[in-house]
Amino acid sequence: MKHKIALLSNVNLSFAIRMLKREFEIYEGEGYGNELGELLNPDSSYHAFAADITFIVMDLMELIEHDLKEDGSRMDKWFGSVRAAVSRDRIYFISDACLWGAETSVLQDGDRKRVLEGMWQERLNALCREYPGVHVLPYRSVLEEMGFERAFSLKMWYMGRMLHTNDAQKELCGLITDRMQLLDRTAKKVLLLDLDHTLWGGLAGETDHTPIILSDDHDGLAFKNLQRVIAQMQSQGVLLGIVSKNNEEDALKILAEHPHMVLRPEQFAARKINWEPKHRNIQEIARELNLGTDSFVFWDDSPAERDLVKKMLPEVIVPDFPEQPEELAPAMADIYRQYFAKLKLTKEDLEKTGQYAANTKRNQLQEESTDFESYLKQLKIEIIREDVSANQERLLQLINKTNQFNLTTRRLDAVTLQQLIADKNTRVFLYRVTDCFGDNGIVAAGIVNLGGEEPVLDELVMSCRVMGRRIEYAIVEDIENALKEEGYTVLRGLYYKTARNKPVEKLYESLGYQLLSIDENKGEYRMVFSDRPKRVYYANIVYDNIESVNSKAVPNIFGKS
Amino acid sequence: MEDKIIALIEAVLLVPAGIITKDTRMEDVEEWDSLAHVMLIGELEAKLNISIPLTEAVDITSVQEILKWALC
Repeated sequence: MKHKIALLSNVNLSFAIRMLKREFEIYEGEGYGNELGELLNPDSSYHAFAADITFIVMDLMELIEHDLKEDGSRMDKWFGSVRAAVSRDRIYFISDACLWGAETSVLQDGDRKRVLEGMWQERLNALCREYPGVHVLPYRSVLEEMGFERAFSLKMWYMGRMLHTNDAQKELCGLITDRMQLLDRTAKKVLLLDLDHTLWGGLAGETDHTPIILSDDHDGLAFKNLQRVIAQMQSQGVLLGIVSKNNEEDALKILAEHPHMVLRPEQFAARKINWEPKHRNIQEIARELNLGTDSFVFWDDSPAERDLVKKMLPEVIVPDFPEQPEELAPAMADIYRQYFAKLKLTKEDLEKTGQYAANTKRNQLQEESTDFESYLKQLKIEIIREDVSANQERLLQLINKTNQFNLTTRRLDAVTLQQLIADKNTRVFLYRVTDCFGDNGIVAAGIVNLGGEEPVLDELVMSCRVMGRRIEYAIVEDIENALKEEGYTVLRGLYYKTARNKPVEKLYESLGYQLLSIDENKGEYRMVFSDRPKRVYYANIVYDNIESVNSKAVPNIFGKS
Repeated sequence: MEDKIIALIEAVLLVPAGIITKDTRMEDVEEWDSLAHVMLIGELEAKLNISIPLTEAVDITSVQEILKWALC
């Protein structure tokens, strides 16, 4: 995607701007130190340029005017102005705190520096929470990695208010390019791992001769550290799977009991430990998790296994495997940056593995249940209407990332969504689903347009991880009921065909909607509420959490009070 | 070294090769403004390890003066 970008700062970053100009269409501003003026003044050349991504790099020392006793008021003032200036349909990256100045090297009270940086961070995080389009630019770590000696130059500062060395400005350009890539690519979801020589050294099951290599020193520590990196990735929403040729019992014993294992069985959302070809196991995992293999990354020390997977499943990412144990952890960190890193982690990301692991249990229950209906009954599904305004980030994610259960695949940006929520002719519905195994999170949304002759369900999306439980029956019926309460008597449904949404092609038919028109790309349907058939599903709809704050007639799920 | 320095000045000022000679002065080249001058001093240090002290750096107005510092 071609972006128009701007780099604003309170110090001179001309060198970085010039370098970025080689690759991007970049705003060449009114100098530096007037970032607030440029942001706030609607007639500024910055606004005329209309950057879709704005990077704001702030030198904290300048901002607090070298007053190390700063109580936060200068920062409040700055963030107040920025808050007034940021537009909800644009993207911003604001640098994190890095307090540096000639005097910091003699500052005895080391805490003071941390306190000031913490004050900045707190305000920046609050802004990011409030505006889904505002992100942290992790600028500090770039400078720290180079070392402040190399990153800052007092001479250039004195000469032309250029605080950062040319090298530091180059690194900053790298960081900016990196952020733009994160913005444009879809993150992978699942990391599939081999066991022997990959998660640990040596071979499981040969403990009598050679215990596996996993410990607190030498090569063993290299593998342990690798696991630490993977565990951190897992806690940030990466789903883990094992695809390994081992005797399952031997491998599970190590996973569960080895004192140096960082990763434990419950941290894996899926595992195939058997002697089947790995590509078949990978396809099997895709089926279990209900995810496309194009969201998988596979890591294995064996070149033969990697080649086979590459050949059989070209859509799976298969990174190289390092030669030396000391390269394991950094190689995995690279894999994370390249394929999994996200700009923002949502609550859903942080709870993901638990949700998928519960899914596996659900599948087992399904296998045990003699028939589908009794399985659905045992699940004790509850569907909870959620407040739309409070969960906009998740709503945006659902609308823009859902492919399979997506009836019209309309993608929306944050601003359009905000307008829809505020529009009196639009109703937005958002649902959380829970069952006897736990909380599935916020997984479905619907948008009804009341602006036309008859209400139209313009958008209906549901996460693939709750598909196949007739939850959609309950949700559509709930939307119909909400409209009925408002006095409407009909609802129209739409289906726009895409490469991925075949699973919902017949949704409206199965719900008893009458077909109005159909061609190869599009179907239009209609339901008169008085003709509604009895639909069989097993789920309770719960409204408690929103009724308490709103009148019954117009609950706040509609986004208006 | 002289060629390297001249090539670096041309690269920083974004002017075609051959424009800058050892007799070029700041006022001869429009691109050589005060901002470009700061970048130039920075690049001399980063790329060629030529460190010109602040007081001299701000006073420099010609290629000759840069060469004098570099080659001394």
